[in-house]
Amino acid sequence: MPGDVIASGDFRYGSYIEKRGDQYVALRLGLAEVSSDGIRLNPLTGPYLPRVEDQVVGKVIDAPGFGWVVDINSCFTGYLPASFVFGRDFSPATHDLSTKFVVGDIMGARIESFERARDPQLSIRGPGLGKITSGVIIKMSPTRVPRLIGKRGYMVNMVSSLTNCDLKVGQNGVVVVAGPEEGVAKVAQVISMIENEAQGADLTRNVQDFLGGGEQVGSQA
Amino acid sequence: MEAKRRLIDDNGLRLDGRKWNELRPIKMEVGNLKNADGSAYIEFGKNKIVAAVYGPREVHPKHEVIADRALVRARYHMAPFSVDERKNPAPSRREIKISKVIKEALEPAIIVTDYPRTAIEVFVEILQSDGGSRCAGIDAASLALADAGINMRDMVVGVSAGIIDDQVVLDLDDSEDKEGSGDMPVAFLPNLNQVTLLQVDGIYTREKFQKAFELAIEGGRRVYEMQRKALNDKFFGGAPQVVAAEGGEA
Amino acid sequence: MSLMKKNYVVESIRRAQIISLLSQGKRVDGRSLGDMRPLTIKTGVIQKANGSSMVSLGDTQIVAGVKVATGTPFPDTPDKGLLVVNAELLPLSSPYAEAGPPSPEAVELARVVDRGIRESEMVDVSALCITPGKTVYTVFVDVNIMNVDGNLFDAASYAVVAALRTAKMTKYVVENDKVTATTERMPLPVSKTPVSLTIARIGDALVVDPNAEEEASMDARITIATEDDGNVCAGQKGEASFFTPEQVLQAVDTSIRLGKEIRKVIQEASA
Repeated sequence: MPGDVIASGDFRYGSYIEKRGDQYVALRLGLAEVSSDGIRLNPLTGPYLPRVEDQVVGKVIDAPGFGWVVDINSCFTGYLPASFVFGRDFSPATHDLSTKFVVGDIMGARIESFERARDPQLSIRGPGLGKITSGVIIKMSPTRVPRLIGKRGYMVNMVSSLTNCDLKVGQNGVVVVAGPEEGVAKVAQVISMIENEAQGADLTRNVQDFLGGGEQVGSQA
Repeated sequence: MEAKRRLIDDNGLRLDGRKWNELRPIKMEVGNLKNADGSAYIEFGKNKIVAAVYGPREVHPKHEVIADRALVRARYHMAPFSVDERKNPAPSRREIKISKVIKEALEPAIIVTDYPRTAIEVFVEILQSDGGSRCAGIDAASLALADAGINMRDMVVGVSAGIIDDQVVLDLDDSEDKEGSGDMPVAFLPNLNQVTLLQVDGIYTREKFQKAFELAIEGGRRVYEMQRKALNDKFFGGAPQVVAAEGGEA
Repeated sequence: MSLMKKNYVVESIRRAQIISLLSQGKRVDGRSLGDMRPLTIKTGVIQKANGSSMVSLGDTQIVAGVKVATGTPFPDTPDKGLLVVNAELLPLSSPYAEAGPPSPEAVELARVVDRGIRESEMVDVSALCITPGKTVYTVFVDVNIMNVDGNLFDAASYAVVAALRTAKMTKYVVENDKVTATTERMPLPVSKTPVSLTIARIGDALVVDPNAEEEASMDARITIATEDDGNVCAGQKGEASFFTPEQVLQAVDTSIRLGKEIRKVIQEASA
């Protein structure tokens, strides 16, 4: 917890850790790992702070004229300029915002820019981005999203193929799952397992066992 | 006119049976409210207090936004049924003053520069009050901040000390506060050893001041151990929080 | 440019999911249309108050406290005590609640709870008189909303009823023309257990005890309170849409039926 000394000595260290003299102090509630590679603190709770290039799932909450205000589950609201969607020649006189997005719509978006004194700007240009029209929304703690994705997407791909579902995972902790009912229910439970991951448990193995995996789609008979 | 009653008897026992350096019974729980980003509940003797944190979140009104750091706000509020005579729900001057003192006790622990242009808001709601509620509120607020996952340099812990019947005692309850001759709430960051709240009520000799102050610090460290346990129980199920991974050493 | 979180916006695909499940008689949290969420009521939680309760209805959490004092009666009702019911939507209860003067929702909540208690005549204010025209008991009921997840009307009502039923006050008598406190403690003059039930209409479906998401998706809402004998003692329709007459009667029947079960829970908690 904040203020705790994790280790003393000489280590490389990552986020949520402060070096005081030769001590490494935690700045956040989390699980610390100490190894020859360095010290890591995996936070257990915490908000989503937007970073440029992050892919997020957002919800339109207002359309004030020149773009859409998008709730990205963060302390800042995102903004999707109409010109990013309609093109450079956008004008409120000739283009109707509601033909693209209305309040309540969900989208996959990328944080295009996040400058001081302005809210993060979003873009929907890119593969897999844009309006999401079907699926079940599942919210999880943003600090646990990396575990859902896994190394180079290993976990999310495994879950997707073993449940026959399509998963859109936002770094902001919003996940949209589309597919057969039982598959969606299983994905919801996997997310729950990830959120409640006990220390030291082999999460990948547990998820694999739960989903009845072992064989991957397309592997040899 | 009634004679003042004795608050501490010849055996050194106070009205509730405690010795001079004993804390009241304390109970702590983390995460009791679903909507808040972080929350905690504390019972400190007869005090029953809920603390909640929302943040970082958008600043309202907008003109109060600070460009390079978070705006920290605290609201200390007593429920109308929390005291002997029903209190009007509108914030009193005393509550506004205590809100400010709580903000100033917690803010030094929060790494506000990690959250520019946002607000971090702490709410301390007193459901039942019995002396020392501002310190108990700070103890709960600190748990709520950790629960919310806000970057902090250290936890914050607080307890009061004071003088009753000319003796220095720890953790004054309501009667001791009202009938005693001095009350000194203290809050500090336990690892960094930085005092962030000090209010001196009453007159102390230099010697008594030091004794009371050090008693408050020592008592605070005991409360800190309970904070640790409360967080540990909620998040780690009692297991240690540092693991050696892949052959390293903690 | 940034929008204040004024209202909870339900995602379109979520709303579609809610409605599609409703057409199959199911709700997103697994309940059927006529199910209430788990209800727990604890009384005597604030010892300094004359009476108190803590109610959890699903994730909606409320603490209510009763304080009794003496005061002067209103000039036009010199022999009746005073009953003041107040509800506060605390800023810590929801990201959409703000500190400061009460919002229209908070004011409506306070008024509906107050009316529900007053019109049911659960507290006999005539029995709260000490000296007509001069001194009466004043009963304050304060409702603190701690966490919002829909259906504040019902949860607040249960909290107030449980707190009033278990409240004890000091008996005052008139001795030598002076109002003095005795050492005797007595319960408040409380006779009934009114039970409120709120039903929301989402499309064509009527759902009992809407949670926050369902409230954000609902078209209209109706709250019906019943007394111990099954009579309707209060009713209120809210939100800017309608109910058909059949739906109104259906709501009344549901309230009478479920009211009996909820009454048992309240009475057990206030035993």
